[in-house]
Amino acid sequence: MNPNTPAPEHRVRQGMDYGESEDVQNVHAAIQREKREPRAGLEPLSIWLIGVYGIAIFLGGAYLGRYGGNFSGDGLDYSVTPVAAKTGPGGPGGGQQTAELGPVERGKKVYSANCATCHQGSGLGVAGQYPPLAGSEYVLGSTRRLGMILLKGLEGPLTVKGAQYGSAVMQPWEKTLTDAKIADVLTYIRQEWGNSAGPVAPEGVAALRKEIAGHAGSFHESDLKAVPEDANLPGSGDAPATGGEPPKP
Amino acid sequence: MTPADIPLKPPTAGSVAIAAAEVSRGEVEQVERALIDASTRVPVLMFYTSAVVWLLIGTLLGSLTAFKSHMPDMLAGISFLTWGRIRPAHMNTMLFGWASMVGIGTSIWLMARLCRTTLRHPLLLVGGAAFWNLGVIVGLIAIFAGQSTGYQWLEFPPYAAAILFVAYSLIVSWAVLMFRFRREGHVYITQWYLLGAFLWFPWLYGATQMMLFVIPVQGVVQAAVNWWFANNFMFLWLGSIGLGTAYYMIPKVIGRPVYSYHLAAIGFWTYALFASWTGMQRLVDGPFPAWMITASIAASIFMMIPVVTMGLNHHMTMRGSFPLMRYSPTLRFTVFGAIAFTVFCVVGMVISLRSMARVVNFTEAGVAYTHLGLYAFFTMIMFGSMYYIVPRLVGREWRYGSLIKLHFWASAYGIGLMLLMLFVGGWVQGRDVDNASLAFSESTQSILPYLRGRSLSGMLLALAHLIFAFHFGMMLFGLGRHASVPTFLNPQADAKAHTGT
Repeated sequence: MNPNTPAPEHRVRQGMDYGESEDVQNVHAAIQREKREPRAGLEPLSIWLIGVYGIAIFLGGAYLGRYGGNFSGDGLDYSVTPVAAKTGPGGPGGGQQTAELGPVERGKKVYSANCATCHQGSGLGVAGQYPPLAGSEYVLGSTRRLGMILLKGLEGPLTVKGAQYGSAVMQPWEKTLTDAKIADVLTYIRQEWGNSAGPVAPEGVAALRKEIAGHAGSFHESDLKAVPEDANLPGSGDAPATGGEPPKP
Repeated sequence: MTPADIPLKPPTAGSVAIAAAEVSRGEVEQVERALIDASTRVPVLMFYTSAVVWLLIGTLLGSLTAFKSHMPDMLAGISFLTWGRIRPAHMNTMLFGWASMVGIGTSIWLMARLCRTTLRHPLLLVGGAAFWNLGVIVGLIAIFAGQSTGYQWLEFPPYAAAILFVAYSLIVSWAVLMFRFRREGHVYITQWYLLGAFLWFPWLYGATQMMLFVIPVQGVVQAAVNWWFANNFMFLWLGSIGLGTAYYMIPKVIGRPVYSYHLAAIGFWTYALFASWTGMQRLVDGPFPAWMITASIAASIFMMIPVVTMGLNHHMTMRGSFPLMRYSPTLRFTVFGAIAFTVFCVVGMVISLRSMARVVNFTEAGVAYTHLGLYAFFTMIMFGSMYYIVPRLVGREWRYGSLIKLHFWASAYGIGLMLLMLFVGGWVQGRDVDNASLAFSESTQSILPYLRGRSLSGMLLALAHLIFAFHFGMMLFGLGRHASVPTFLNPQADAKAHTGT
């Protein structure tokens, strides 16, 4: 396959495929002219390339920090809020919301996600099954009773606003909701639908949670009646909150 | 001694040993290559032929998809040709039919060459190819019958995936066995990538099938799994094969060693580390935990490390040899693909940044990005490798340089036009969707000219593929102009002296 030899048979071969040739030499022409199998050289890494690596790592890391959304599992919001802005021992992701929303707005979110299925968005419940929250003596009365119901749940017959309920049970929320969320949702139901009772503070819920942690099972109406009508949690009162400001304990 | 004295007939190991005293090392290597090529001939050509057939089918389906996007009435009355079936059919034909099969074909040949071992029992690989084809056929029929799973790039129902798994284990166990019995002590860069791809793919596909269909995860995790799969099918599976092929073809054709082993090692390991983190950036502003999306965006920024490293390595290898792209088809396609990989990763990083993604995410720009990776990078490199490998398998030279040139330019202009249309169109579409003063229907109007342009680019690509398939068929059946000199893109007296094509 030397192109410089003008041999007559070379010209003949020009028009032939390797496969048709008698000459084994020709069959492997493509392999013969091939360069050897590739190898890798050993040029060193240059300094400026290490600099480029550093820039890429810095930019990527900065981006992750800037838009990491506090690495919250339930946050769709990628902005990062400084930790100092947190007002309570919020759960994961609580930080970025406390900066903008008051307890009533936050409570509303908790309510529509967890409570509205039974007690309805109107707070009127379902007759015979789920007691109303609007105007309910339990909602407007002792915050201690209310905290007990939320944390441990409620079973058995119950009279609210003169009507009998009890075919359904209230589930315990102590494992699902944080102290802050329970406080927010209680504040919300005490001030929505024409209710006007004072807010509930997370510290009070935390204290109650610790106090009744040993109680097995849900409460019954008799357990609630055993608590005085005016027993309130620390940090909660009867005066309706004027603004979105959380109460000072 | 003259080349004519090489004892090639009969080409057995025994005769080489006898003549070893008088035959130079280079000549022994030539005999060895001939034996290796002969052993891979049937399975690799089977993979290539299947891939080319799937390429044509996929092109037809893709063209129909493109036309239906701006002519929704076309073929609307036929249920199995509706948009919801024809689009996944196009994607899966291209991914599993064309891209995976051509990639496996090239990988087998490269692995055999680099391990310096002949392929034993090639018929088992033929069986693997047949099973793989069966899996793709079953999956496509299921999609046309309306049994698509609805997960992007995973539309094949699990029973088709099971067939693909059987085929894959037949295929890859063979490639890994070749590596086990290699006669070459040195493990070249290409082998890292191929072994990586062979081991990553079953993990990728298996884990995804498990998490979506066998023990389905709930809620948004499904979307996370789906996009992790789609992106890494691109990066870890096809991307690894494409990059490994480029690392072989470029130094092989120009006959120079790769610039730096160290750069290659850094590029490979950072690629393996960061690529698998990407994927969720395609869900920016979706209902998804923000930090997971941000982690993927950060990973695509980190991806600049392997991209710069590999790009530099290829560039320094090629330095001074760029004029050879005038002559060598392999080099031209491969360098085009290698450059497109850099562009692919940089564009992918830029459009994933939240400020950009807010506009272009969930628009036609996503389609453009996918084609940039699958076509401009991967498919072009695979074309290059076929232009190199097929003559060695069939024992014939490519018929006409003009057909190769036409193929290249139709492909290059086709994909260029498609990317231009879809990136610009996606930007316009995204801006119009975000514009509250415009009705949504107006955003669908403003993209129409770009979709028509995309259909035109699809015609160019279809032309390129028809030319290529025609040329490939002539090679298989020995039709057309016969030649015993290599086919170059441009006639040049000294071209042969420079290229090893």
